[in-house]
Amino acid sequence: MFRRLRLTSFRWAVAIACTFFVCTALLFGFVYWQSSIYMTEHFDSVGVKRAEVIASMRRGEWVDAVEQRVSEDPGHQFSAGLFTPGGHRIAGNIESLPPHIAARDGAQDATVTRIDPDGRHTQSVRAVVRRLRGGEWLILGRNNQESEEIAEIIGRALALGLLPALGLAALTGAFLSAGAKQRIEELTQLAGQIAAGDLHRRLPIIERDHPYDKLSAIINRMLDHMELLVGQLANVGNDIAHDLRTPLTRVRTTLERARENAQTAEELRDAADRAIDGLDKSLAIVTALLRIAAIEHGQRTVGFGNVDLGRIVAEAAELYSPMAEDRHIRLRVASGGAAAVTGDRDLLFEAAANLIDNAIKFTPDNGQVDVAVSHVGDHTVLRVSDTGPGISDTDREVVTRRFYRADKSRRTPGAGLGLSLVAAIVKLHGFRLVISSGPGCVIEIICPD
Amino acid sequence: MARLLLIEDDDETAVEVVGELTHRGYAVERAATGPAGMALARAETYDVLIVDRLLPEIDGLTIIETLRHERKRTPVLVLSALGALDDRVRGLRAGGDDYLAKPFALVELIARIEALLRRPAVGRETRLRVGPLELDLIERTVTRSGRKIDLLPREFRLLEYMMRRPDQMVTRAMLFEDVWNYRFMPDSNLVDVHMGKLRHKIDAPGEEPIIQNVRGAGFILRANV
Repeated sequence: MFRRLRLTSFRWAVAIACTFFVCTALLFGFVYWQSSIYMTEHFDSVGVKRAEVIASMRRGEWVDAVEQRVSEDPGHQFSAGLFTPGGHRIAGNIESLPPHIAARDGAQDATVTRIDPDGRHTQSVRAVVRRLRGGEWLILGRNNQESEEIAEIIGRALALGLLPALGLAALTGAFLSAGAKQRIEELTQLAGQIAAGDLHRRLPIIERDHPYDKLSAIINRMLDHMELLVGQLANVGNDIAHDLRTPLTRVRTTLERARENAQTAEELRDAADRAIDGLDKSLAIVTALLRIAAIEHGQRTVGFGNVDLGRIVAEAAELYSPMAEDRHIRLRVASGGAAAVTGDRDLLFEAAANLIDNAIKFTPDNGQVDVAVSHVGDHTVLRVSDTGPGISDTDREVVTRRFYRADKSRRTPGAGLGLSLVAAIVKLHGFRLVISSGPGCVIEIICPD
Repeated sequence: MARLLLIEDDDETAVEVVGELTHRGYAVERAATGPAGMALARAETYDVLIVDRLLPEIDGLTIIETLRHERKRTPVLVLSALGALDDRVRGLRAGGDDYLAKPFALVELIARIEALLRRPAVGRETRLRVGPLELDLIERTVTRSGRKIDLLPREFRLLEYMMRRPDQMVTRAMLFEDVWNYRFMPDSNLVDVHMGKLRHKIDAPGEEPIIQNVRGAGFILRANV
C-alpha cells in the first residue's frame, strides 16, 4: 500500500514536471515564431517605404539616393541597385539584375551579388523590387543574415531560459506530489484512528473545491451517519433493557409475593398465570425485535405474489374494529375496488394491522380513524389517518426507530416497535413510507405498480 | 395412547418437548438425526410426527416429502427457526399439516398436536351441535337452547371453528391462522376482544359460559357446561 503510494507520487512528480516543461517549451517556441515573423514584416515594410520614397523622387535624384543608401551602410547589411529597363547597372552595389525577378508589391526572397570595396559577396536577401517611371529597375535588398542572427539570439536566450524552467518544473512536481502524498498520509492516519473506534473524529477540509476535500466531505457525511446509527444502537440497547426490565421486575414481584403469601394452590396458580402473562409480554418484545431483524436482513422476495391490498387492508381494519368500537372510535374504510400489488400477503397484513393499531392507540376516545386504499397516478396508496395528536416534525424522522414512542411517559400500550416493523416491511417490498401530519397523523404506504 | 415421533437435533429442545409430552400422557420417541428419524418414521406407525426443519444430513422437508411419496399420511407438525419464512413450509401447511416457529410455548405445541390428533372430519354436515349450541352452516344461523343469536360473519366463523373442536384447547395463534387466515401474531388482547364479543352474544345473563378462557394459553369450548 505504502510502496504503491510512493510510486504513484513519484509518477505524479514526473508527470507534473513533464507537463510544465512541455508547456514552457511550447510558449517559448511560440515567442520565437512570432518574433521572427514580426521582424521580417517590420524589415519588409521599411524596405517598401524606402523604395516608394525613391520612386517618388525626380529622375535625376535616383542615382544619388541609391548611392547614398549604399554608403550609409557600413555593416554590409543593405544592398541597392538601379538598372536600365534592359538590365544594365546604372548605380548601386548590386552587380546585375537577379534572374527570375519581377516587380511586385511587398518584398520577396532573392539572391544578389554585391560589389564591395573588398570584393564580391553573394547574399541571400529580402528584396523590394520596383519598376520606375521609365521602366528602370530599382532593387533594395536587406541581408537575411541579420534577422537570422537576431532570431538566433532570441532563440538562444529562450533556450537558456528553458533550463531553469525545467528545474523549476521538476521542483514544482516534487512539491505538489509531496503535498498530495502528505495529504493522503494525513487522511490515512485519521481514517486509522476512526477505524480504531474514535468515531467523533472528522477529516479536515481545507479548500471546499479541492478533490481531496470533496472526498473528505463525503467521508465526513458518512461518518456523521455512522455515528448517529451507533448512537441509536446504543439507545436501542438501553430501550430494550428498559422495556424488558419492567415486565420482568413485575413477574419477579408477583412470584415472590405468591411464595410468601399464597394460602391455597388456587392463589399460587393465579400468581403463576400472571407471571406467565408478564413473561409473554417480554417474549413478545424479543420476538418482535428478531422479526424486524429477520425482515430487514431478508432479501426474500420469492414468496411475493399478486395480492389484493384493498382486501388485505379491509380485513385488517375488520380485525381492529371491536377495539375501535370499545373506545367509540369511528373506523372507516374506503377502498376503490381491487388494488393489486406485488408482495407478501402476511407481511402486508401485518404492516396494515400495525398502522391501524397505532392509529387507534393514539386517537382519543370518540375520535376517528380513516383507512383508504386508492390509486394515485400509477401508484397504489394505502393511507391511514387519525384524529390523534399527530407527529411533530422533529419526531417524524425518528418514529420508525425501534422503541421510539412519542409518548415519553410510556402510558400508551405497546412496545413501540410497530412503526419500525412497518418500515422494515415497506423497505423489503421496495415501497415508500410517508409520514405527515394533517390534523392528526397521516401515514401512507406508497406502492409503485 | 397416542404415539408421537420427535425428530429434533437440538437436545435441549428435545428434552423439554419429550418431557412435556410424556407428562401429558403421550408415548414419545425421539430421533436426533435425519436418517434416524426417516428410518423410524418409515418402519413404525405414529399418530403425529414432529419434525424440525433443519436437521443434519437429511432435512425435515425431505423426510416429509419421502413419506408422502410412500403414501404415509401421518400428520406432521414442522418446527422451524424464527424468521425462516419459507414458501415450502407454507405449501406444506396448505397440504393440511401444521407449522410452528421456534421459539414456541409448550402449550402452543400441545394444542397443535392435539388439533392434529383430533382433526375434524371434513364435515359434510350442514348443522353443528355442541351442548346447547346449534349452528346452521347453510342458513348461517346460531341458536343456544333455541334462542336465536345474531353474529357478524367473523364471529360466525370463529364459533364454527370452536364448535368443530369441542373440548379442545385452541390457542390464539391457531385462531388467527385459521379463522383470519393470516400468519401474524397481533397483540393477544385483540383475539380476546373478538372472543369477548362472541362470548357476550352466546352467553345470556345467568347462563353458564360455554367458551372458557385458559389463562396464558387460549380457549376451550366446553361441550358439557
